[in-house]
Amino acid sequence: MSAKFFKHRKKTVKKHEKRAKSSTKLDTANAKVQGKLGKKKTTNVEKTATPEIDDDNLIVLRGITKRYGYGDTVSYALKDFNLDVKRGEFIMIMGPSGCGKTTLLNVIGLLDRASFGSYFLNGEPVDRLSSRKKAKLRADRIGFIFQDFNLIPTVNVLDNVTLPLVYTGYGKTRREKTADEILERFHLRNKEYYMPSQLSGGQKQRVAIARSLISDPEIILADEPTGNLDSRSAHIVMEELKTIHSEGNTIIMVTHNPALTVYATRVINMLDGHIDTDVKTVRDQDLPQPISVKFNKKEKTA
Amino acid sequence: MSLLLKTHYRLAYDSISQNRTRSFLTCLGISIGVAAIILILSLMGSINRLISNQVKNVGTDLLVVRPSTAKTSELDNIVEELTATNQYMRSNLTLKDVDTIQKLDEVAAVAPIARFAANLTTERQNDDGTSYSHTVESASVVATSTNFLQIQGLTLHSGTFFSESHTDLIPAVIGKGLSLSLFGSSTPVSKVFSYLGQRFIVVGMLAETEDPINFSSVDFENSVLIPIDRLVETDNTLQIQQINIRAKTTGNLEELSNKISNELTRNKSGDTNFSVLYGEQITHPAGGLFQVVSSMLALVAGVSLIVGGIGVMNIMLVSVAERTREIGIRKAVGATSSHILCQFLFESLILSSLGGLFGLILGYIIAFLVSIVTPFAPYIDINILGITLLTSVSIGLIFGIYPAAKAAHKNPIESLRYYR
Repeated sequence: MSAKFFKHRKKTVKKHEKRAKSSTKLDTANAKVQGKLGKKKTTNVEKTATPEIDDDNLIVLRGITKRYGYGDTVSYALKDFNLDVKRGEFIMIMGPSGCGKTTLLNVIGLLDRASFGSYFLNGEPVDRLSSRKKAKLRADRIGFIFQDFNLIPTVNVLDNVTLPLVYTGYGKTRREKTADEILERFHLRNKEYYMPSQLSGGQKQRVAIARSLISDPEIILADEPTGNLDSRSAHIVMEELKTIHSEGNTIIMVTHNPALTVYATRVINMLDGHIDTDVKTVRDQDLPQPISVKFNKKEKTA
Repeated sequence: MSLLLKTHYRLAYDSISQNRTRSFLTCLGISIGVAAIILILSLMGSINRLISNQVKNVGTDLLVVRPSTAKTSELDNIVEELTATNQYMRSNLTLKDVDTIQKLDEVAAVAPIARFAANLTTERQNDDGTSYSHTVESASVVATSTNFLQIQGLTLHSGTFFSESHTDLIPAVIGKGLSLSLFGSSTPVSKVFSYLGQRFIVVGMLAETEDPINFSSVDFENSVLIPIDRLVETDNTLQIQQINIRAKTTGNLEELSNKISNELTRNKSGDTNFSVLYGEQITHPAGGLFQVVSSMLALVAGVSLIVGGIGVMNIMLVSVAERTREIGIRKAVGATSSHILCQFLFESLILSSLGGLFGLILGYIIAFLVSIVTPFAPYIDINILGITLLTSVSIGLIFGIYPAAKAAHKNPIESLRYYR
C-alpha cells in the first residue's frame, strides 16, 4: 500500500521479534500440559490421543471445556476442544446454533474463561492470567469484529477507531495519526467526524474492522461480520477481510453462510462443542505471512 | 497515567454534556445542599466577625476573666453556656478577685459584671393624676462598677454615669429600650424604680449602639446598669459572671493574663475554675452559642447534601445501565476493570464538583441578599471554600464508587449481548 502503511508495519516487526523470544517458555508449559492430560487419559480411555504442541502455532487449545450449570442442568458449550491455528490462516467456523462457536471465539478472545483446558497464545499460557493482563492482551494482540458492529453510538468514527489505543497508552496525536492511516485504507477518511448512526451498515462494519486492526493485533476474531449486512455490503466487507488476510493477518471467523467459505484457507464445522469436520484448502507453507515473519525466514536461510 | 486521566475526564465530560438536563438536575441537588451549608457558615462567620470587630473597636488592651470548669473541652463550655449553668450557678468570681486584679500595676481599670434578671417596678401617672404601679418582668440587670462604661466602650445619651456617691437612692443607668418599656418615656433621667425593696434613681441613659452583639453577652438596649458595691450590701448571693480588665499597655497581654491567673489561683487557694481571656479568645464563647446553633443547622443542611448525593448515585446507576453495551465494547477492546471504574468515578466526581461550585455561587448570592436586610455581611473564608470543595468531592466519591464498581464488574460477554 502506501509508504505510510509500510512504516506502520515496520513497527510491528520489532513487536513480533520480541514475541518470538518468549516462545521458549513453551517447552516447559508443554511438558506440564502433557502431564495433565496424561492423568486425564486414565479416566477417559476412549478419548483420542492429544496432538503434539507445535511451538510455531499462533493459537494452541488443548482440552478446552466450557461448562454451564450445575448438577442435572450441566451443559457443555465446548467439550474437550483441541485446535491449532497457524499464523496466516483464515479460518471459517460453521455449525448449527448452540454448537459453541461464539463461546469458542470468546475463549480465544480472552473474554471468557474455559472451565478446563489450556490455551497458548503465541507459545505463552494465557488461560490463568489476571483479568488485567488479559485486558492488556486484548488491547495489544486481539481484534474483535462483531455481527452488530458494536460501535459506541455517542462518539464519532475517529474516536471509535482509536478506542483500543486509549487503553494501550498512546497519546492523542499518535492515536489520531494511526487512525488516519487505517481509515484512509478503508476509504473512510472523509467520514472521520461522522457519528456511527450516520453511516450505512457496510460502512459501520468497515469502521469496526478498522478498529480491530488499529493496534496491529495477531488474531482478528470475527463473529458473523456479514450477518447484518445486505449481500453487496457483505461482499465489500469480505473483500476487505481478504485483503487483510493476504497481508499476513490471522483471521478466525464464525459464519452461517456457506458461500463465504471460498475466502477461507480452512473450514471447521462444529457440532455440540467439538470439531465435526476440519478441511484445509491451502497448504500450510502457502499461507500468507506477516512481513516480520518473512524477514526472519530470509535471515535464517541467508 | 496522566494521559488516561485526561481521557477519562474527556469521556466523563462528553457523557455529562450529552445528558444536559439530567446532569443539571443532579448538580442542582448537590448545589442546594452546598448552598445551605455555605449560607450558614457565612452567617456564622459574619457574626463572629462582628464580635471580634467590636473587641477591636473597644481596644486591644482588653482582658476578660470568666468562670469555667477548669481544663474541660470547648464543647463543655458551650454546653454550660447553653444550659446557663455558667452564668447562674458555677461562677465563683468574687469582689475580692476584682480588688486583687485592681491592685496589679499593669491594670488600668477593672469592671465586674453580675448579670441577672429581675422584676422592676415603677410608679406611673395616669392622665387623671392617679398613680399606679407598673412592673417589667425579667428585665436584664447588670451590676458593675464605675469603670464599666470606659471598658465596655459605651457612651451615654444623656445624664451621667453612677459614681460612688452615698445617697439613699441607688443610681442606675438604663438602656433606651428598657426605659421605654419601664417608664414609657425616652427621657428616664431622675425617674425612680424599685427592685426587692431597694429604690433606684436613673442618672443616665445609654446611647444606642450599632453592634447588636458584644463580648459581654449583654443587650445594653434592654438593660439597666447598677453599681455592684451597693448591691452587695443587700444581696450577698450575687455572682460575678465576668470581670472586664483594661491593661495599661497593649503589649504583653499574655504575660498579664498569666499574672492575673496566678494571683486569682492564689486567692482561691489553688482552684483554677476560671479562665483569663484576651484578644480573639474573648469573642469565642460569645459566639459559642451561634456556633452550636449553626452547627446544628449545618448538620440539617448536610442531610440535604446526602439526598443530593443519593441523586448522583441514582443517575450514575441509570448511566451505567444505559451504557452496559459500551462497557462491554470497551472491555472487549482492552479496557481493564479499573479503567471502567475510573471513567464512571470521574463522571460522578465532575457532577458533584460542578454541583459544589454552583452551590458556592448560589450560597453567596443568598448570603448577599440576606446582608441587604441584616447587618451580617457575607463572610468569605478559605476554610469555607475548602470545606465546600472537600464535601462535594467526597460526596462524589462516596456516592459514585458503588455505581462505578458495578460498571467495572460487568461481564463483558453479557454486556455485549445487552440490548436496550
